[in-house]
Order: sequence, then C-alpha cells, then structure tokens
Amino acid sequence: MITKDEVLHITDIAKLKISDEEISPFIEKFDKIIEFVEKIKVVDTENVEPLYQVNEDNYLLKDDEEDQILNREEALQNTKEQKYGYFKILKVVE
Amino acid sequence: MAYKTIIGLEIHVELSTKHKIFCNCPNEFGADANTLVCPTCLGLPGSMPILDKEALEYAIKAGIAFDGEISKLIKMDRKHYYYSDLPKGFQVSQAEIPFCNGGYLEIELESGTKKINLERIHIEEDTGKQIHSEEGETLLDFNRSGVPLIEIVTKPDMNSAEEAKLFLDKLRATLKYIEVSNVKMEEGSLRCDVNINVVNSDTGEKSNISEIKNLNSFRGVVKAIEFEEKRHIDLLESGSNTKKETRRWDEAKTATILMREKGDASDYRFVVDGDIPPVKIANEWIDEIKATLPELPQDKKTRFVESYGLSSYDAGVLTQTKELSEFFEETLKHINDSKLVSNWIMGDVLRRLNDDEIEINQSNITPIALADLLALVRDDKINNNTGKKVLKEIFDTGKSPEVIVKEKGLIQISDEGEIKEIIKKVLDDNEQSIIDFKNGKDRAIGFLVGQVMKASRGKANPQLANKMLLEMIKER
Amino acid sequence: MDLTSLKAWEMKEKIINKEISCKELIEAHIRKIEKEDPDINAFITLNKDEALRESDKIDAKIKNGQDIGLLGGLPIGIKDNIVTKNIKTTCGSKMLENYVSPFDASVIEKIKYNDGIIIGKTNLDEFAAGDSTETSYFGPTKNPINKNVVAGGSSGGSAAAVAANMAALSLGTDTGGSVRQPASFCGIVGIKPTYGMVSRYGVVPVSDTLDQVGVFGRDVKDATLILNSITGYDKKDSTSSKKSDSVVSLANFKEDKDYLDGIKIAIPKEYMDLVPADKKAQEQFNTAMKVFEKSGAKIEIVSIPHLKYAAEAYYIIMTSELSSNMARYDGIAFGHRAEEYETLDELYVNSRTEGFGNEIKTRIMAGTYALTGAQNKELYQKAMRVRRLLQEDYDKVFASYDVILSLTSKDLPFEFNLTENNLIESYRANIYTAPANLVGLCAMSIPIGNVDGLPVGMEITGDRFKEENIIKAGLGYERAVL
Ligand SMILES: [Mg+2]
Ligand SMILES: [Zn+2]
Repeated sequence: MITKDEVLHITDIAKLKISDEEISPFIEKFDKIIEFVEKIKVVDTENVEPLYQVNEDNYLLKDDEEDQILNREEALQNTKEQKYGYFKILKVVE
Repeated sequence: MAYKTIIGLEIHVELSTKHKIFCNCPNEFGADANTLVCPTCLGLPGSMPILDKEALEYAIKAGIAFDGEISKLIKMDRKHYYYSDLPKGFQVSQAEIPFCNGGYLEIELESGTKKINLERIHIEEDTGKQIHSEEGETLLDFNRSGVPLIEIVTKPDMNSAEEAKLFLDKLRATLKYIEVSNVKMEEGSLRCDVNINVVNSDTGEKSNISEIKNLNSFRGVVKAIEFEEKRHIDLLESGSNTKKETRRWDEAKTATILMREKGDASDYRFVVDGDIPPVKIANEWIDEIKATLPELPQDKKTRFVESYGLSSYDAGVLTQTKELSEFFEETLKHINDSKLVSNWIMGDVLRRLNDDEIEINQSNITPIALADLLALVRDDKINNNTGKKVLKEIFDTGKSPEVIVKEKGLIQISDEGEIKEIIKKVLDDNEQSIIDFKNGKDRAIGFLVGQVMKASRGKANPQLANKMLLEMIKER
Repeated sequence: MDLTSLKAWEMKEKIINKEISCKELIEAHIRKIEKEDPDINAFITLNKDEALRESDKIDAKIKNGQDIGLLGGLPIGIKDNIVTKNIKTTCGSKMLENYVSPFDASVIEKIKYNDGIIIGKTNLDEFAAGDSTETSYFGPTKNPINKNVVAGGSSGGSAAAVAANMAALSLGTDTGGSVRQPASFCGIVGIKPTYGMVSRYGVVPVSDTLDQVGVFGRDVKDATLILNSITGYDKKDSTSSKKSDSVVSLANFKEDKDYLDGIKIAIPKEYMDLVPADKKAQEQFNTAMKVFEKSGAKIEIVSIPHLKYAAEAYYIIMTSELSSNMARYDGIAFGHRAEEYETLDELYVNSRTEGFGNEIKTRIMAGTYALTGAQNKELYQKAMRVRRLLQEDYDKVFASYDVILSLTSKDLPFEFNLTENNLIESYRANIYTAPANLVGLCAMSIPIGNVDGLPVGMEITGDRFKEENIIKAGLGYERAVL
C-alpha cells in the first residue's frame, strides 16, 4: 500500500495538488495502478537491452541549416503577461 | 590539527557553434530579449529537437583534447526539474552514458606537474535567463535556451584554491586552443560549480561536501574555496558537521550562503528523450575530428622542452595560452635565444599582463618589439634595468624600443673614459665609503656602484662600472 | 444527392470532372456540421471561413486547368492535438483552451500542399490520454451510429466526424490504439502507420516513442488516399524514417487484383487465452476469418509470448513519457496560468492543478512514480526491456507471415461514464492495439459487421514499413464482402 506521504512526494515533484478530500480515493486508485504495473517485474529481462526506439537504424544530425526563428510577437503570443519583450511573472516570494 | 582540502569542479562550457543544439536559432550573445527563439527552444507544444552536428563535433573535440574516451553511442536523456528559465520542465542532458568518459589535464605546480583527472564530460542544453524588473517581477529571456553546453566533471583531485585556479586556467586555455568556446566567464560561456570538503588528516574525519554555485569569476572561485575551507574546518572543530548542501557565492558579502540541502538526485526522473534517436559515432568521424585539432597545450609543452631546452615549468607557463605560445615562438624568429626570451616573458611580461588582467594579444607589445628590445640588452646597448624600463614604456605607449631608447637617451655608456669621469666624481664625494671599504666593509662597494649608476642616470654598463670602480678604489 | 455521404475518392472525382464545385462540397459539409455537431460534438473549433476561402482557390485552379493535389478540395478534420498556425490547438484541455500555435505541423503543411481543406479541429480525450473522448475539457463526443455510446478515443472526434459525414477524411493520432479503436467503434477504417512513416513535428506528444499520426476514411481506399498524402521523411522530426519515402501510393494498388489469395495470416493465440473478447464480437471476427479463408488466405495460430505483459509495458512507457511531456505546461510561456500565486512553486502547482483534468493528472502521477527513485529501473527501464522482447516476438512472426489478424477492441462501443469504475480493465482493453505502438508496427482497423447495431472492427497488423500488406489485406477483404 502506498502511503500518503509517498503520494504527496509524487504530487510535489509532479507539481500537482490533491485536496484533502481527494487524497484517500486517489490512494485507493493509485494502489490499483501500482499493483497493475508491478506485474511486469516478473519478466526475466536479464541480458536484454532496453528498446528506446523501434527503428534503431535512425541516424540524423542537423547540419548547417538556415536560421529559423520566430519573431518576438509570435514568441510571446501565448503568454499571459509580458514586459519589454520578456515573458513576465509577477513578483514572487523566493 | 592538519586538514586536507578536497575539491572537485563541475564546469559548464557553452560551445560557440553557429546554431543552438536542437534548433536553427543563431547561437549568439547579447541580442534583444526573445529575438533568437523558435518553437523548439521555447518548448512549444509539438516542437521537436534535432541534434546539431557541429555541437556534437565541438563536444567530441573537447573530449579528445582532454584525452577522454569518446562513447560509441550518443544518447540524450531528459532531466526534470521546475524552474522559470527552463521552458520544457526538463533539460535535455546525458544521464548514465556521457559522450566522454575519463580524461585529464595537467597543471604546473612549483613542486612539479600534477594530473587532474576528469570523471566525465556530457553534452546538454543551456537554459534561458531571468532578470528582475524594477517592480520585482521576474522577466524571462529564452535567447540562451538551447545553447549547447558541455559539462566537465572532474574527480576530487584538487587540494587548494591555487590548484583549482591553475586547473581552470589550463582548462580555459585548452578550450580556447581548440576553438570550441569563447570561455568568457563574464558572458557566462564558462561557469563553474565547486564541490568541496575537508578531511582531518589525523582522525580521517570528513566534513560533508558542499556544492558552491553562482561563481562567475576565477577570483570568485578562489575566494569561495578559501572561505569554504575555513568554514568546513570550523565545522569539524566545533563538532557541528552539516548535511550535504548547496550554497551560493555572494560576492558582496564575500561569503557562501546556504541555498538548500541537496535533494535526492533520483527526483530528476531521467527518461530517454524519445525525440532524439541515439546516434552511433563512427570511428572514422572521430578520426576526422582528431585531424582538425591544432597542437594541444600538452604536446606543445613537450615540444618546447625538447626544442628550446626550457624547463618543464617554463614550457608549461609559455603554453598556457595559444596566444602566449605563439608570441614566444614568433619572438624567437627575430632573436634566436630561447632562454633570454623565455626569461623575459616569464618575468616582466607576464607580471605586467597579470597586473593589467589582459592577454598578450590585448597588450601593446609585439614579438618584433620584444625581440628588438632583447637584442639591445644582449648587445649591451642598454643594461638590464633600462631594458625593464623600456619594456614598461612599450606596454604603456606601444612605441618601438629604438624610438624609446633614442627619445630618452638611454643607450648604455660603455665608454671607459666617460665612466672613469663619473667614478672619479663619486669617489671624490664619498671619502668615508672608501675608508669603510678598505676597513673590510664589503657593503660599501655596493653603495658606491649604486652612486655611479645614479650619476649615469642608470646608463652605465654595470659590469664595466663595477670592474673599473674596484680598480680605481685600489688606486686611492 | 447528399454529397457528404460519398466516399472521399468519389468526391474528388466529381470535383476533377467538374460535376460539383469544391465550394459546394465544403458548404454541404458545413451545413452538415451545423446540423449534426451540436449533438455529436465531434469538433472543438470550426474553420468555416478559411475553408470557404480555400475552396474558392481550388475551384479557381480547376477552372484554370491546373493540376490539383492528392486531396484536391476534400474537407479534412484534424485532431486538435496537431498544431495549426491560424486555428486554436486546445488538445481538449483547459490548459490550452486559447492556445494558438505560431507554426503548422508538418502533416498540416502536407495536407495543404495536397490541396486538402481543413474543415475544423476535432475533439479528443484531454491530451489524447484516454479511450473514449470523455475526458475532453470540451465535453464528450457521441458515437454517430448510436448516440448512447462513446465514439471511442482518444481520436473520437476525428472518427465521429468521418462516420457522421461531417468530414470526408480526418487525421488522428495513435499512441496505443487511439485511431484504430474509435475507427472500430464508429464503423469506419482507421490506419496507424509504422512508427517513422509520418512526421510527428507539430503533433503535441503523449508518448514520443509510441505516438504516430493516423488516418480515418470510410473505406480502405479513402484511408490510403489520405495516408498517401502525409507519409514521408521530414528533417524536422528525427524519428521519421527515410524508409517512409517509399510512399504508400494508391497507384500501387490495382482494382482487379485478388489480394487475399495466398496471403499468410497469423492469429495470436494469446488473445483468446488472455483477454477474452465480447462473445458476439468474437463471432463476427470468426465470420470475417472465413471470408479470408475462402479467398485463399492461409491462416495459422501463432504465439506472441510477451503479449502477456504488453499492457503493463505500454502503460509504464506511455505514462512515463507523458509525465515528461506534460512538464512543459507550467503556466509561464504558454498555457493556463493561475490567477493566484505567491511563490514560483504555487504558480506551477496552481496552474497545473487548475489546467489539467483528472485522467491526465492520474497519468502524470503514474508516470512520475514510474520514473522516480528505484522505480526508474524496476518499472521504466524494465518496460523498455520487455518492449525489446515483444519486438523480437513480432519479428519472428513477420518472418513467416504477411499480417496478423485480431479484433480491434475486445469490447463493443460502451456507454458513457464507465471507464472510471473499471480503471485497470480499461488499461488492459488496448491489448489488441497497443502492441503495434510498442513495436512500431503498422495496423488498420476495418469494419466487419455489427452486434446489436454497434460496429465491430477487425485489426490487420503488418510489419514495420509494410503498409502495403495491410492495405492489400484490407482492400481484399472489402472486395470479398461487397
Ligand atoms: Mg548540468
Ligand atoms: Zn530555437
């Protein structure tokens, strides 16, 4: 059974918040998920290399291309706040 | 009690490629905020990275220059953490397989050559930059986001601030030699973190490592190490060893300040970057890259010892930077006396450069000027001391030695008649010194020589003056 | 005549032969959408004005006797996780409710180059994480065949749009079955090509090593037509393959050829043991098998031992990569930003907690868990090793067989609000489709009948870069049952 603290550690690094009401149903659900994925542990994978890409022959490097940039308006078009051409965050307590 | 300091460095070096590592934005310093950005380096949804060939080539060059072992496969991983200057929520870096393992650099200590070993070098992307507005808001500029970096991690092989400084000098010089980085600390193209702790040599007790960040000058590195050395020793002495922690150097306070206790590294949640298929590195490509490398400082040093009969220490210093080594060899083309040239560069020339905090190529002196100056000294046209004054004048004004000597009338007096006149006058004015000398006070002769040089305004040939003075005293 | 009910290739012929104008075709589709979609909810954003303007351009081309592209004038639905420069790309999430990409995905460039007309952006599970299109911030999509059941997912909007004649063709994305399963549920054809066949540049990723753009059409020919127009190597996507340049050309498929005669078909026995399918659906599948047999196909039972762990491996890899890909939504450079925050950490936490829905949060949590601490090795890296074993299993099968056949989904299209209660079961449900993503294979879902008025789909899986084999099997089957 995963503990509340462990769940809170995961929410902390995932930058998510679970409210006090949500926490115990979540733990119940999360436990089922963990139980499900842990089944994989029984597979014998000794001397098996991980497969990171299904097509292992790929080999591509970027070589001396033309410059390709966005103009500043495009770069900033989806941010909520900006100032002097910078992305802006309100004053925060560090 | 005796303590030994243990220092390891982590150095981030920006590679001076034309483009960023995963996109075709120009890799430039100093442009207006957010004008060198594209979907990829802003981390926009749907954007994808393409690994830059030149960045990999530059990284491999560095790996070869430090004699590391280049990996056969380049695999990129994502290192996750949240910070406002990190647009994707992860930095593309290399986790368990760096592109280069091992390697070393040698530093020259008075006691001899010391090898500083490298743990690894990996390639990664730089983050953006944040500044604070007058209202205290955070403003973000992603021009630097995606600039290629190599991170050089040393083994904990350094034992003093001095050694760390020498290592950084050598590292910077080597990177400049192979032309893969501007290595300008003030522009952030070379950044250094220090890992430091101390060991009590008697009891073997160790302080816990602290990592010092935010060091933006070599001087800061030295000061931070010295500060930490003392702090760690105090901690052990007072029995209050702290946990591993991350601190930053505060230049204004000349102190390190606690940032955080070191988090668990596994929280980075390394995952293979599925958008960047692993790249196989062919031996032929490594050979090709090797062939483009210039003579490296280490090889040049050996050659200087062998060809010019220099000491290992002198050769080490003269090959410290590409510019200095080239200056030395260029000077030799005009005056074939490696000992003389080496002595002068190692002495007054370097002292002056250090005082001015400049490189040789930023100064007024040229190889021809130095060669001409040394020819004057060698041929007894001016004496050693005058030579030093002329050198200063060259540094100050950039004039040629001939012009300076002529303007100031500094040509050495080697005319016996003229010197005889001067000595005669000095002896006449210093009866007491003659008596002292004859009473066995050898010191008096030094005083009299000084007076002769003074009277000649430094121009008398010192050896000649010395010899004649002794003869003329005896005659009295 | 209702133009919208034609096959895409029929519409194209009529436009080229000047029987209809492109504008008429687009207008007919817009009328259809305006009538049907308020109920079905296949679209998040309509591209009405631009589509009409573009149709004028196509008509002008035809009038001037210029050649028109492969998709000449056809209205295409685009899943809303494929970025478009002038139309919002929401990914079905509050996080990107107002997001407008400053660039077009490479597939969008290809659609435009081939004279396809983007009719709108289609609904999906939030960030394509789901199998029912119920997790969309913009509400679920109903199945046009029976509005009481889901359209499938995550490309439910794209499937429903084609099934309801609101688009001639559409693009989806497929990470573990997200094209094939909704195609099956909506009674149309869906193809997930080989990993590397289609550029992912501009496709908002769920899982970089599993995702592939897929296509929907009302028959195999339609699906091939649109697949033909989007495949090919793209230097903006390092994972796209040069092998993809041997394009899936419609011209390669002859109308009169009997494609089923002599083809070698494998049926994995694990499906029968492991995840029993709906009985009536299974009967439909058996009937379809007989069609193949009668037409001269050789069918044999094979074993794919590591299928047993494919659902687990899939879930671990998908959530791990998903959690990484979702890290960029922090409220800073784009996406939802919380109003309230006092620290940087609160800015992240509040923006993400407000911007993401429950299912995506659960998957982020699961992926974060799988990558953290010891689990990184025990789960994430383990799954990558199992993935290799699975690929080796499939390589063996494809050394002797042309295609593998199975149902596309073990379930019939289901009612709304079922998934949350059957979480783990739903994770296992994609066992018929997810292996193709884990291994990188190409696969197609093709309708084979109905059970109680609900469509059943058959999956035809082929080896990597062997799209030709699945298309031939699909065309052969379609012709055999016509
Ligand atoms: Mg680093
Ligand atoms: Zn860029």
